[in-house]
Amino acid sequence: MTLTKYFEIGKINFINSFAYTFDLLASSVFVALILFIFVSLWKVVFGGQIMIEGFTISMMLWYLVMTESIVTAQGHVVEEIGEEIKSGQIANYLNKPYNYIFYKYASNIGNGVFRFFLTFLVASIVVLIFLGGITIPLISIIPVLITVFLAITLHFAMMALLGVFAFWFEDAKSMHFIYQKIVFTIGGMLLPLEIFPFWLERISAVLPFSYVAYHPAKLFVNFSFSSFFSVLVFQIIWIAVISLFIFLVFRVCVKKVSVNGG
Amino acid sequence: MVVNHLRVHWEYLKVALSTAMEYKINFIIQVLAMVFNDVVWIIFWLIFFNRFQNVGGWVLGDMLMLYAIITLSYGLSSVFFGNRNRIAEIVNQGKLDFYLALPKNVLFHVLISRSSFYGLGDVVFGIILAFIVLSLASLSLFLILVLASTSILLSVAILSGSLAFFFGNAEATSRNIFMGTLSLASYPLSVYQGVTKFILLTIIPAGFISGVPVELLKSFNAQWFWLTIGFVVLIFSIATFVFYRGLKKYESGNLMYVRT
Repeated sequence: MTLTKYFEIGKINFINSFAYTFDLLASSVFVALILFIFVSLWKVVFGGQIMIEGFTISMMLWYLVMTESIVTAQGHVVEEIGEEIKSGQIANYLNKPYNYIFYKYASNIGNGVFRFFLTFLVASIVVLIFLGGITIPLISIIPVLITVFLAITLHFAMMALLGVFAFWFEDAKSMHFIYQKIVFTIGGMLLPLEIFPFWLERISAVLPFSYVAYHPAKLFVNFSFSSFFSVLVFQIIWIAVISLFIFLVFRVCVKKVSVNGG
Repeated sequence: MVVNHLRVHWEYLKVALSTAMEYKINFIIQVLAMVFNDVVWIIFWLIFFNRFQNVGGWVLGDMLMLYAIITLSYGLSSVFFGNRNRIAEIVNQGKLDFYLALPKNVLFHVLISRSSFYGLGDVVFGIILAFIVLSLASLSLFLILVLASTSILLSVAILSGSLAFFFGNAEATSRNIFMGTLSLASYPLSVYQGVTKFILLTIIPAGFISGVPVELLKSFNAQWFWLTIGFVVLIFSIATFVFYRGLKKYESGNLMYVRT
């Protein structure tokens, strides 16, 4: 019963996203351009080579299709939450029969899932035209989608944590910006971790950022059940750890919220 | 006439700077965030070239040169022409009325009446990077090329912003065109081949923003140098022409607002 309301919130937002298809399409077109650049870049880098660090050129590009689609699936969660907490608007939510963070999650995930599929579709078309397809085992589709869903959730959780922190650090926008760049690099959105120097690869692989981009995308192009279970376990652990932090910080912060008038 | 415009520009800059200084901490955070962004991209390319050394003839040094040019041009255009990416919004919301009533060049006045001082982060970063990768002898050529890139960036912004005259709500499209061009310009020119390369040296002038300047700094070629200068003049003239052509179609808004 308690969970159904969040499911409904998510559903409403999923359906609502159809209303802004044109806006969303514009941002997907941008991702398409980036993929076009990546196709050109990796074609030159691969030259005559078949394999680089275990990646063929089509694995590399489809890996990037996946990372880009996951990472760009969500909007400005940090700014949204940061702004609502700072401006005191959060008071409107606190007296509702739902948890504020869960509410935000439900409304974002609905939108996020829609955007993920749209971006994935547009990006796939670009890679299909300029490079070609990739063969993946049919059996991997459901497990990969599960890790994608958890990746979007983990991504949300980290942004929500930063948003709550915006209560103290004024500038939520800059924080979002910096977080984004961390996911771009050591999260593996722009490059698979295998390209990194060994020490950096090891560090990045265990940090939560790579469970948003690198791990699910690697699984997509190179599936095995053993790595699926390990990714799954670590994603759940990181989501749990970060959620715990959110609730601790959020509690302190709600106590300090003072709302004046109406 | 020109002196008069420069004086107005100077006054606007002073006001913008003192506004930015009002919130010092925020200002510093924003500047640092811009620098952080640039540093992250440099790290990305360090990792990349550490593994691959050579991308179609481009090496790490070339890439650093490209970033020196692009961060400096982007930063300069943010600081001095801070409204460059808001033309579509200004036109669409009828805010152009304010500028039409004043005795200054409309386009110039629109561009300068805002200043994004956090672009200073990019400027400082670009200058430091330039001192690291360039020899003193090539400094004057570097400065000319930076001015050329800045002018092309501005022209792209004016052209994409002017779409709003013809299509109304073009804010997202205009921003995407600008950012798209900038993204294309942020990768080695050598990765683009054939038709793509031709397009990037004509319709989408990303090649002239960064790639050609880097090639010129590596080995100077008078023909390409003058081609770049010629291209700057051409695209800037087209941008100005399109803006004023669009202005004829401009229907003012009935929105009342206070400009503070």
